[in-house]
Amino acid sequence: MNKDMTKKKKGFLRGENSTVLLIFIAFMAAVVVLQLITGGGAYPSMISPANIMNIFIQISAVGIMAMGMTLVMISGGIDLSVGMLTSFVVLFLAKSFRDWDFPLAAAIIVAILLAIAFETGMGFIISRLGVEPFIITLGGQIAFRGVALLIVNSQEISMSGALDGLKDTVIPELKDPTSGLNLNIPPYLFIFIAVTIVIWWLLKYTKYGRRIYAVGANPQAAYLAGIDVKNTLMSTYSLNGLLVGIGAVCLLARVNTAIITTGQNLEIDVIAAVVVGGVAMSGGKGNAWGVFLGALLMGAIANGMNILRLQAEWQYVAKGLIIIAAVSAGAITNTIQARRQLKQQNLAGTQSGAGESTNKQ
Amino acid sequence: MAAEILKLDNISKTFPGVRALNGIQFSLHSGEVHCICGENGAGKSTLIKIISGAYQPDEGGNIIYEGKPVHLDPFLAMKLGIQTIYQEHTIFGPLSITENIFAGMEITKNGIMQKAEMTKKTKEVLEYLHTNLNPDDLVENLSSGEQKIVEFAKALVFDRKVIILDEPTASFSVSEIDNLLEIVNKIKARGIGIIYISHHLDEVFKIADRITVLRDGQYIKTVDRDATDEPQLIRDMVGRDASAFYNREHFTPGETVLEVKNLTGNGVYDISFEVKRGEILGFSGMVGSGRSELMTLLVGGAEKLNGEVYIMGEKVDFKSPKDAIKHKICYITEDRQHTGLFLIHTIARNTIIANMVNTKKPTIMPKEEEKVGDEYIKKLGTKAPNAGVLAGNLSGGNQQKVVLAKWFNTNGEIFIFDEPTRGIDVGAKQEIYQIMVDLLRQGKAIIMVSSDMPEVVSMSDRVMVMKDGRQVGEVSKNEVSEENILELSIGGAKI
Repeated sequence: MNKDMTKKKKGFLRGENSTVLLIFIAFMAAVVVLQLITGGGAYPSMISPANIMNIFIQISAVGIMAMGMTLVMISGGIDLSVGMLTSFVVLFLAKSFRDWDFPLAAAIIVAILLAIAFETGMGFIISRLGVEPFIITLGGQIAFRGVALLIVNSQEISMSGALDGLKDTVIPELKDPTSGLNLNIPPYLFIFIAVTIVIWWLLKYTKYGRRIYAVGANPQAAYLAGIDVKNTLMSTYSLNGLLVGIGAVCLLARVNTAIITTGQNLEIDVIAAVVVGGVAMSGGKGNAWGVFLGALLMGAIANGMNILRLQAEWQYVAKGLIIIAAVSAGAITNTIQARRQLKQQNLAGTQSGAGESTNKQ
Repeated sequence: MAAEILKLDNISKTFPGVRALNGIQFSLHSGEVHCICGENGAGKSTLIKIISGAYQPDEGGNIIYEGKPVHLDPFLAMKLGIQTIYQEHTIFGPLSITENIFAGMEITKNGIMQKAEMTKKTKEVLEYLHTNLNPDDLVENLSSGEQKIVEFAKALVFDRKVIILDEPTASFSVSEIDNLLEIVNKIKARGIGIIYISHHLDEVFKIADRITVLRDGQYIKTVDRDATDEPQLIRDMVGRDASAFYNREHFTPGETVLEVKNLTGNGVYDISFEVKRGEILGFSGMVGSGRSELMTLLVGGAEKLNGEVYIMGEKVDFKSPKDAIKHKICYITEDRQHTGLFLIHTIARNTIIANMVNTKKPTIMPKEEEKVGDEYIKKLGTKAPNAGVLAGNLSGGNQQKVVLAKWFNTNGEIFIFDEPTRGIDVGAKQEIYQIMVDLLRQGKAIIMVSSDMPEVVSMSDRVMVMKDGRQVGEVSKNEVSEENILELSIGGAKI
C-alpha cells in the first residue's frame, strides 16, 4: 500500500475547519480589495490593528456563549434561551449591585450561579423526560424574559462603570501605527481566548469530550457503551449556563447599562457562529477552533459591512446569505471528503483481497 | 378448481451481494388460502414485497395477473385489487372505522362526501363478517385483533381480489386467533385469493389450502395441505446440504462464568441458564421471541423485575450497561448501525469508547487513540487504510469488525453476539466465525443470538430455544440439529 495514502491529510486548508477559514479569508480579502479600489492607496482600515481588535471586542461575549452552545449542540441539543438568560443575568447583576447592595463580586457570582441553575434545570427536564430541547429552551426564553423584567420593573440600570476593570485596555498608551488611534485591548478578550482554549482541550483531549461527541452521534450506542447519557446531556447545559453567565458579565462590562434588550436575539448570533463554525445541528460533530473562526467570521461580516457603509437592510441580506453559503459549503465539502475516503477504501480493499459489498440487505 | 388469479414464474431478486430469491414459482387461485412457509431469511418478505409491487424482480421472470403479464408497482397493485395487510397496521387512530376504510378514497358527489353511503357500505361488510363493531367506532379504541378486522373490511368494501397477510396473528391472544381464522374463511368464501404468512404451523394447517415452502431464497415445493404434515413441513424448511455449515473447532468447557436464574423483565419471563468458558450457548427462536430483549435486560439496559444474575460466582445487579462492561460483559448488538457504531466518527474513536469506563485517567490523547485503532485494524484484518476513516464509510463486514474492536478493547470475558453476521457476505462471515472460535480458545464464554439456522447449528455447543418471551427448551450438544430447534420454536400451540 502506498505510504502517502495511509498518512492522514492534515494541513492548513485541509483540516475540518477549512471551509469556514476559507470563507473568512475570502471575506476579509474582498473587503480589503474594495477598500483599496475606493480608498486610493490608503492603508485598508479593515485590517488595521485597531479594527481587528474592534472585531474581537464585538465578538467576545457572543464567542464565549458560542463555546457553551458548542457543547450543547455537539451533544445533540440546542438552546434558544441564551439571549434572554443573558438579559436576566445582566439585570440581576445590576439590580443586586445597585439596589440590593450586593458587593460586586457577590453580585457577579450569584448571577452566574443562577444562570447555571436555570440551565441545569432545563437540562434536567430535557435529559430525563426526553423532550425536544427546542421546545424546552423556547419556554425558558419566554420565562427568563418575564423574570428579568419582574426584577427591575421593566427599567434599565446603569452600572456607572463598576465593571470597567473588565473593559479598560490592558496596555494604555498603545497606538495603532496605521491610523494613530488608541489600541484598545480589553481584559475580557483574554477570557474569550481562555474559554476557547479550555473548551478546545475539553473536547479534544478528555474522556468527557468523547462522551459528548458519542451522545450526540448515537445516544443508544453511547448508552450501551457504558456512557451515562442523561447526565452527560444535562452537564452540557450546566456548562452552557456557566459560559452564558460569564459572557453576559463581559457584555455588561462593555455596554455598561443593563436593559432587557441587552440579550435580545443574541441566541441567533450565537447559534449562527456555532453552525457556521461547522457544528452539526444533528450533533456529534464540530470543534472549538471552528466555532472560534465562525464567531470571528460573523463579527468580521458585521464590521466589514459597516466599514463599507452598507445600508443596514442590505447587511441583513448579506449576513443571511453568508450563513447559508457557509453551511452549504460545509455540507458539500463533507460529501466530497466521504467520497474520497470511500474511493481510497475501495482501492485498499481491492489491493488486499476481495472487495466487499457496502450494502446491507 | 377456481380460476388462477396470480401466477409468478421464475422470479428472482438480487440485492447487492445477496441473492434473496432465486427462480421462485408461485400461483394463487380465487377463493384459496395459500400459505408461504420458511425460516427467517427464507425470502418470504421479499416475495410478498414483489407481489405488492414494493420491489421489482430481476429480469427474466414473469408475473401474470388474471392471464396478463404485469409489471407491478404499489399503485398498480392497488388498482388491480391486491392488498397487503402488514404486521403493523396503517391506521388513523382518532378516525372512525368508516373514515379509516375510505381514507383517501372517499365516495363523493359533486365534491361532497357521501357519509351515509360510506357508513352503509361499511355496515354491510361488518355484518357479513359477523362482528359487533359499529361503523362509527373510533379505531384507536379497538383491540389489535379488531383493528385487523377493519383492514379486512376495507378489502371487502373495495372488492379486492388478492389479500396478503403477513404474520397476522403476531401479538394475538388465542381467542383472537380463532376469530381471525374464521374471518379469513369468510373472505375466502367471497372468492378472494389469500396469501398467508405465519411462523405458527398450527395456524397454517388450520387455514391453508396449499402450502409453498421456501428455503434460503429457493423454491422448494408447493403441496396441498392434506398431502403433508408438520414434521414433513419442518424437514422441507430445513433440509440443507452439509456445505451450508461451518465446521468449527470445539473445546472442553471450563468453569461457569455466567449464571442466570429466573430472570424476568423487558418482555421476557423466567429465564434460567448458565454459560461456561470455551463454549457457545446459542439462542434460537423466531423473530420477536424475546431473545434481544433478554440480552438487553441481561446487560442492565432494561429494568429487571425478578431473578438473579451471577458473574463468576458473584451476584450482580446491573443498573446500566456501564456496570455490565465493568463486569467484563460485551454486548455486540444486532443492529450495528443504530446501536453499535458511531457512524460519523472515526474507527479510532469507535474503538476506544467502551473501554473508557475501565480507565481512571480523565484525559485521552488522540495519538494513543489512533494507535489503539490501528492495532485492532491489523489484529482483525479490517479493510481500512487507517483508524482515521469514518465508520460509516466501511462495508458491513468491516463495520462489524470495528464493533468487535470496541469490545475486545474492554478486555471482556463474556461475549454476547446478537446476530453476529447479519447483512454480511459469505467471506466476512467465515472471518467472524474464526474470530469467535479464537475467543473460545482464549477461554472466553460466548452467548450467540441468531436467526440464521445453519449458523446456530454449526456454531453452538448448546442451544436455548425461546418463544413468546419464554424459554421453551434447550437442545443439548449431541442433539443440536435444525429439526430439533425448529420443532421447539414453531411447533405446537401458542402459549
